[in-house]
Amino acid sequence: MTEHPGTDYLSAGMTLRSWLTTHDHKRIALLYALSITAFFFVGGLAATLMRIELATPAGDIVSASTYNKLFTMHGVIMVWFFLIPSIPSTLGNFLVPLMIGARDLAFPRLNLASWYLYLGGGVFTLAALIAGGVDTGWTFYAPFSTLFSNSNVIYALIGVFIVGFSSILTGINFIVTIHTMRAPGMHWFRLPLFVWAQYATAAILVLATPVLAMTLLLLTLERTLGMGFFDPALGGDPLLFQHLFWFYSHPAVYVMVLPAMGVVSELVACFAKNPIFGYRSMAYAIVAIAVVGFLVWGHHMFVSGQSVVAGITFSLLSFLVAIPSAVKVFNWTATLWHGRITYEAPMLYALSFVGLFTIGGMTGLFLAALALDVQLTDTYFVIAHFHYIMVGGTVSAYLGGIHFWWPKITGRLYSDRWARVAASLLFLGFNFTFFPQYLLGIEGMPRRYYAYPAEFQTLNVLSSAGAVVLALGYLLPVLYLGWSLFRGARAPANPWGATGLEWQTSSPPPVHNFIETPTVDGPPYAYRPRVVSPQLVTAREGTQ
Amino acid sequence: MPVSRRPSVKPPSVRAYAWTWIGLLVLLALTTGSAFLPLGRMNLALNLLIALAKALLVALVFMQLARDTPVVRAAALAGWFTLLLLASLALLDFAARSL
Amino acid sequence: MTNATLSAEGPNPVPQRTAVAVQFDDAAQQRDADTLGMWLFLATEVLFFGVLFLSYSVARAHFPDAFAAASRHTNLLLGGTNTAVLLTSSFTMALAVRAAGTQDARSARRLLLLTATLGAVFCAIKLTEYALDYRGHLVPLLDFAFDVDLRQGALVFFLLYFATTGLHLVHLTIGIAIVLVLAWRTGRGAGPRHAERVEVAGLYWHFVDLVWIFLYPCLYLVARA
Repeated sequence: MTEHPGTDYLSAGMTLRSWLTTHDHKRIALLYALSITAFFFVGGLAATLMRIELATPAGDIVSASTYNKLFTMHGVIMVWFFLIPSIPSTLGNFLVPLMIGARDLAFPRLNLASWYLYLGGGVFTLAALIAGGVDTGWTFYAPFSTLFSNSNVIYALIGVFIVGFSSILTGINFIVTIHTMRAPGMHWFRLPLFVWAQYATAAILVLATPVLAMTLLLLTLERTLGMGFFDPALGGDPLLFQHLFWFYSHPAVYVMVLPAMGVVSELVACFAKNPIFGYRSMAYAIVAIAVVGFLVWGHHMFVSGQSVVAGITFSLLSFLVAIPSAVKVFNWTATLWHGRITYEAPMLYALSFVGLFTIGGMTGLFLAALALDVQLTDTYFVIAHFHYIMVGGTVSAYLGGIHFWWPKITGRLYSDRWARVAASLLFLGFNFTFFPQYLLGIEGMPRRYYAYPAEFQTLNVLSSAGAVVLALGYLLPVLYLGWSLFRGARAPANPWGATGLEWQTSSPPPVHNFIETPTVDGPPYAYRPRVVSPQLVTAREGTQ
Repeated sequence: MPVSRRPSVKPPSVRAYAWTWIGLLVLLALTTGSAFLPLGRMNLALNLLIALAKALLVALVFMQLARDTPVVRAAALAGWFTLLLLASLALLDFAARSL
Repeated sequence: MTNATLSAEGPNPVPQRTAVAVQFDDAAQQRDADTLGMWLFLATEVLFFGVLFLSYSVARAHFPDAFAAASRHTNLLLGGTNTAVLLTSSFTMALAVRAAGTQDARSARRLLLLTATLGAVFCAIKLTEYALDYRGHLVPLLDFAFDVDLRQGALVFFLLYFATTGLHLVHLTIGIAIVLVLAWRTGRGAGPRHAERVEVAGLYWHFVDLVWIFLYPCLYLVARA
């Protein structure tokens, strides 16, 4: 039963049962990776059907009701079953213990439970899909969801409720692990920024998700028992629902983006062979984004009937969150300066993130301006904005991270040439899909509509065509990464010459991560010294 | 270094626990009794204050939060602060609706 | 680096070299992790219940008279007694934690059983109250009857009453089950981690008490003057 300490985690137990009952954070990460990929393609299928419909002005492929169900399932699946768990539950699960020098997370069985909860939630959500879908939008606004929708709302609510607990357990696990299990010498300001990002993300998961859970419960009670929390006819308030819903759902978008930022820091430092510029301010910026992210939810409610006082307050607070985000963009850029930059696929993904996140972030500022938002809300401008962040940002970073740590996780090397092709296709396809949507939004095309006036067709066709290229960019990695599992060259411990404890153990790592617990005695990102001005040397190598 | 417990601080004695219990029951009597006095809005304020006092007794003594490190106390308070945030901004909206 | 075997507790307990799970370096780290983990879980519970309290606040501001009238229909004697029962159970639980920590297995066991008993008493009183509420036509959707002017608000009050106390009861029942399991394990050679487990369970128990401390005035004391 006890294996030789050097056995790698992939070889220790080959049965299905050993995988399904594993306590190993690395195996659980892979279980998650497979599951979220499957859901990604289901959500992507919904999007494909939507883009096919939107290639022509008339609503001719599907009915209006079906279209409502498509965008709802796309949103529900992509948000809760792909984006939220994506980096934390795959890369985070795999890497956090390795990066801090621990043997596993604090609560391995809770980690496995977390995955089963994810699956349980998935079962209910797929049941909703199979039973005929849900048409309320992923936002489940009352009173439509409680009184008027005839679709399978309850299944979806239960599904999301359950998957919320998956998030909460992951969050608790990460926070406790990072606080209590760092290796000797691994002080807070020696942690890789990826770990800082996971920590902040975990805090959001722990504090925001319970609010969603109770809100969905109230929604379920209202729909099934006719209770009146949100129904004006019974003395309730629809805006109470929106406050509660967005109190979770806005921080949720930072759950999606912060881990991505953590990945990007690792990638940019490695492929510029430079320490991260302004390490401490990067760490503080991560915390600031998480904190301020809790203060801005009302910007989703500017035209809902919210008071003007609240609207102004939320607008001003929303401007604030751009500041730490900008700090990060500037620091990544400065990290490149005087670097020995190479353009392997992970770097292409990282640079994509920086550019696309900047565009998405700036358009977020437009939307935060109260007066502008009145014009732009519920148009394609908003859709373009959040897809620039979530797809241009998070998915790029996720893929970049998958490529970067692939050798560590699988012990195999993949074809970087094909990977660069995929990254380029992704970048091109993404921009062709979503940039036209900014223009459509400004011109007034509403979101969640399956038909539109003829003058919008050109931009819509461009967008749908771009989606084809984007899809190719997603499919290619499945092929060459899958290929590498069987025919790829064996990876050394540190193929990229990167810093970080995870690169000091074998690829793939042993079951308990390290043969001997490492000790840390220097700052992170200790890439080779360069010849620069003395002030920059002090700034870059970080303070202790 | 221990993250949760400060070893230098002693655990509460049986007496401390007993006095806390008595204190809680006294507060219960107080809150129930004061509810019968016509104090208008002060009834609510008083009840909440007493509830807070009870909560602090339970948390600091029974749950030994007084002995715990800042990390644990931060975890203990985090939920309350977040809730306060939700409540204050949401209630701000509700209060300002008619303005 | 010695890899400690995972502690095995169950029908065939293996003589344990150590009770520290393999991912931890030592017992102190394990204890830190368990304590912090439970507090974080309690933080999520604060927010979970907190949403109900927020809904209550919004509704009460909207229906002040109905809430006042409805609250007067709650059974203050049973509710107040229950509060005393739960506060006392926190006292006995704290003593149980202390006894487990000082290896006084007999006292710990008795105190844990006493705590569970008090919890059960709470449940019995609560269910009695529910039965009385039903007879008084105060259960929404089950033949609810109230003064027609205040009916809408009273309905919301009692919706929240049953939702919050019901959820609280579920949490309490889980707590009772945990305490009973711990009582059963105490004194059966439960192992070095036992005291720690009792302490962590204690945190949960006290939290259930905390929720009730705030529920009591909100539901029973709105307008007794």
